[in-house]
Amino acid sequence: MTYDVVVNVSLKEAVLDPAGQQVARVLHNMGYAMEDVRIGKQIKLRFQAADLTEAKENARQMAEKLLANPVLETYEILVTEP
Amino acid sequence: MNFRDVGLTQEEFEIIQSQLGRNPNDLELGLFGVLWSEHCSYKSSKSLLSWLPHEGRAVVQGPGENAGVVALNDRLHVAFKVESHNHPSYVEPVQGAATGVGGILRDIIAMGARPVALADSLRFGTDNSAAIIQNGVVEGIGRYGNAIGIPTVTGEVAYSSVYDKNPLVNVMAVGLLPLDRGVNAQGARPGSYLVLLGQPTGRDGIHGASLLASQDFGDATEHMRPTVQVGDPFMGKMLMEATLAAIATHKLDAVQDLGAAGLTSSVAELCYRSGVGATIRLEEVPCREQGMTPYEIMLSETQERMLLVVSPDNWPGIEPIVQHWEVPYSVIGEIMDEPHLVITMRGDIHAMVPPEILAGSCPSRPARSEWANEIRQNVPHLTSFRPLTFDPEQALAVLGSVDCRSRHRIFERYDSMILANTVWGPLHDLAILRTKGSKEGLAIALSGPGRYAARDPYSGGLAAVSRVVGLLAAQGADVLGLTDGINAGNPDKERVFRELTGLIAGVADACNIFAVPVTGGNVSLHNETEGDSIWPTVVIGAVGRHHHPLEPVPDSPWQEGMDIVRIYPGGDWSLGASVFELLFSQLSAYPRPDLERIRRVYQALDEAWNKIPSYGVRMIGAGGLFVAATKALLAMPASLGMEISVSPDDAVRQLFSEVSGQFLIFCDPQATPRLMELLGPGIAGEIIGSVTPDSNLVIRAGRAHRFERTKLDRTFRFGYGG
Amino acid sequence: MKVGVIIFPGSNCDRDTIEAVERLGMEAIPLWYTRKSLTGIDRLILPGGFSYGDYLRSGALAAQAPIMEAVEQAVSRQELPVLGICNGFQILCERGLLPGALRPNSSGEFRCTWEYMRITSVPRGFAGLKEGDVLRLPIAHHEGAYAVQPGQLQSLFENHQIFLQYSDETGSVHALTNPNGAVANVAGISQGLVVGLMPHPERAMASYLGSSDGQRFLKAWLGEGSQ
Repeated sequence: MTYDVVVNVSLKEAVLDPAGQQVARVLHNMGYAMEDVRIGKQIKLRFQAADLTEAKENARQMAEKLLANPVLETYEILVTEP
Repeated sequence: MNFRDVGLTQEEFEIIQSQLGRNPNDLELGLFGVLWSEHCSYKSSKSLLSWLPHEGRAVVQGPGENAGVVALNDRLHVAFKVESHNHPSYVEPVQGAATGVGGILRDIIAMGARPVALADSLRFGTDNSAAIIQNGVVEGIGRYGNAIGIPTVTGEVAYSSVYDKNPLVNVMAVGLLPLDRGVNAQGARPGSYLVLLGQPTGRDGIHGASLLASQDFGDATEHMRPTVQVGDPFMGKMLMEATLAAIATHKLDAVQDLGAAGLTSSVAELCYRSGVGATIRLEEVPCREQGMTPYEIMLSETQERMLLVVSPDNWPGIEPIVQHWEVPYSVIGEIMDEPHLVITMRGDIHAMVPPEILAGSCPSRPARSEWANEIRQNVPHLTSFRPLTFDPEQALAVLGSVDCRSRHRIFERYDSMILANTVWGPLHDLAILRTKGSKEGLAIALSGPGRYAARDPYSGGLAAVSRVVGLLAAQGADVLGLTDGINAGNPDKERVFRELTGLIAGVADACNIFAVPVTGGNVSLHNETEGDSIWPTVVIGAVGRHHHPLEPVPDSPWQEGMDIVRIYPGGDWSLGASVFELLFSQLSAYPRPDLERIRRVYQALDEAWNKIPSYGVRMIGAGGLFVAATKALLAMPASLGMEISVSPDDAVRQLFSEVSGQFLIFCDPQATPRLMELLGPGIAGEIIGSVTPDSNLVIRAGRAHRFERTKLDRTFRFGYGG
Repeated sequence: MKVGVIIFPGSNCDRDTIEAVERLGMEAIPLWYTRKSLTGIDRLILPGGFSYGDYLRSGALAAQAPIMEAVEQAVSRQELPVLGICNGFQILCERGLLPGALRPNSSGEFRCTWEYMRITSVPRGFAGLKEGDVLRLPIAHHEGAYAVQPGQLQSLFENHQIFLQYSDETGSVHALTNPNGAVANVAGISQGLVVGLMPHPERAMASYLGSSDGQRFLKAWLGEGSQ
């Protein structure tokens, strides 16, 4: 079956996000009250898997091995069933 | 908490107890842990480094400050230093390398100098992950240097499996300052404010220096992995502008950057050098995270921070400057007379230690000068490897090997031209920069093949210095000073400490013979994983005064009929430690450079500019004569070629020997006799060929071997068979 | 003539640009990004660099800077020649003062090299450059691949807005001379008095620096060039 999987990669809470900082600053200057901004990545995958469990497991492995950098980032996986 | 938890030994702990007259509390123990770490205290290398000469006519500031300073002329000074970021670059290549660049730039800025150039010396492994690490490191160096706007103008890279799990990232920064702009960390006066500028403090890299950089890697280090520091070149740029503008007012007592061991090291060093004490109120330190403890705030290695010391009277003149550059800041304490570093949080005293004990009392490992003497006398046997026939395929394999081939895939990812001073950039063996408003320019070279030190570290130390001094001599540039980046394994092992002894003795002896001073540098030890250590590796950065920077001595010929002369300092044509040997035999010891003869070669080259109408010169290095000639050919107009003859019965050694002190000179046949005269007695200068109108390289070794330019170009750019 | 050079937080080619302008005998006026007026400025340069660290998208954050209001107004009144170099070009596109956008290089990597490029059409107000001239200038960028919406390219060519294309030494434009994946090798575009280009003319002011074609280009933009 074909699964659509979204992997959201974000910086770990304690890791400095310089890009988020500057976006927050500019939004603030534009008049938007801003408490925090953190920037992540969204990766959309489409692939075949036998079932939901396998799809999730495969996505988890991809995230661990490539999509996220375990030193700096965390990730979450959202799977849409076909 | 126990003293072992912070990396101290029993002996060190006892010294702390006796000097303090009591047991340190946990925070104090943490402070000692980082400051007495190898990384901060140089306890294993300090006594060896005392062998290096530090005096020279141009030296303004020797070792001990954030960077060395030398005089370019009567208007400009040059601040420069090399620093390593090896361990962080293995843990997180992009950020590790990026923060390495940021760190060395802040050292230069803290001397009051505006950075004008970066150079990097890299070592990578040969396994599958090495390419990933290299890509990350190059990305990180580029990301930081490009964004902050300092050009990366020269550098080098080499490969060996010994660097698989211990890549080396040594970065050199060079800055310029007007004569009256000098500042340092020695001027802090009682009553002055301590102002912390830059990035708010987070839980970044706590114990990064003391544990990661001061112990060997292994499974046990996995859980100690701290929050990795992220470099922010944007904040770095704003911090640089704010700091330089503040220094330009001449109203600061002192400046100190925050690097390894963060606030702890910064404040302790500053107080120790200035002979004062300080009170720090931790509640005034801007923090990025909630609930940070005194221990975390003091040991955090958050990047892009700088400490200014400024009197209350002068602060109103400085504050608007910092505000203009939109850099976060806070007055976090004051300097005081009493020689104590007092750390408080909301009125409670959390630590009280004399800076002199913290920063000045760590016991150091004694140097073994008898080892150095033994090493000097113990000349290793040279290889008898002497292939009989010249094989053109082998020549191409050397040219296209990882150690010789073009570095364009790396250096094109660095901005090498910003600031518009780069006359010679990474296409050449050294960089030449003009300086705006002065006739004199800068010659910058960075080099130090680990291969040469692998079997005989002493020889490697001699060769590293010899090479950079020669690169400058070929331009007729005066060497103003050197900076040394020393990298080795675990110094507790006798073998490693012996290697380190040989390496540093080699650097020291060469500096003495060439009469060039070392004004500072960096030592990185414990480059060792699961018991396997790297080759002892020294990289030497040189800064020189170039007398005609807009008109460098060319490194390739430019017209048909020019003579190609080889200068050879004498001795055996050994293949020891050459790339050819690495590929087709087994790595052996590098032949010890004959520095007395080499010094005379350099003198001749130095005089050539004034005595010979026009000529070109190129040093022979990795890959020997064949690779040097090919590089010169590829830099010539495409219509020109070269024909070179070597003796048929010793062709391979003559073409691929990497013995120190060899050069190719290109000159008009009428000027050649004049050149030979300059060389003086005992130095061999031989016309080995000429520039032809046929665009290819012909090597005559008995019979003629013809190498098509396109083939050479492809092999050099993309590798053998690429 | 007073040439304003905007300094955004993170601009890093501002000094080089100011020196280049002064070398050509003009007065260069540094303008901090918080300024709200451009009174007294005859020409304006947005220099290269990494404004706001190039975070989010190159040029996106600087496009919202206070001074950009004033730039937009001056452009709409068609009274101020504006030149955006590298990051300045990106800022002008992000602000909508030039059409199109700059995407990451096709290699995914930063690239700093010398390139040849051809003048495809001479923008308004330029003196001393003609169609078919070839310049040698350095590029240094991570996001320099010019991109447009489908169908837009044709009209940009027809309106002579595409003024600079990466080429070989002889001015011939083809895939092998495209350093960054820009559509149709576009290196620079114009719209009215607004001009943007990725290469850095301010770094090519003397042959000992690699080329003096940058000097020629800037002179032409200043209206001072001669054939």
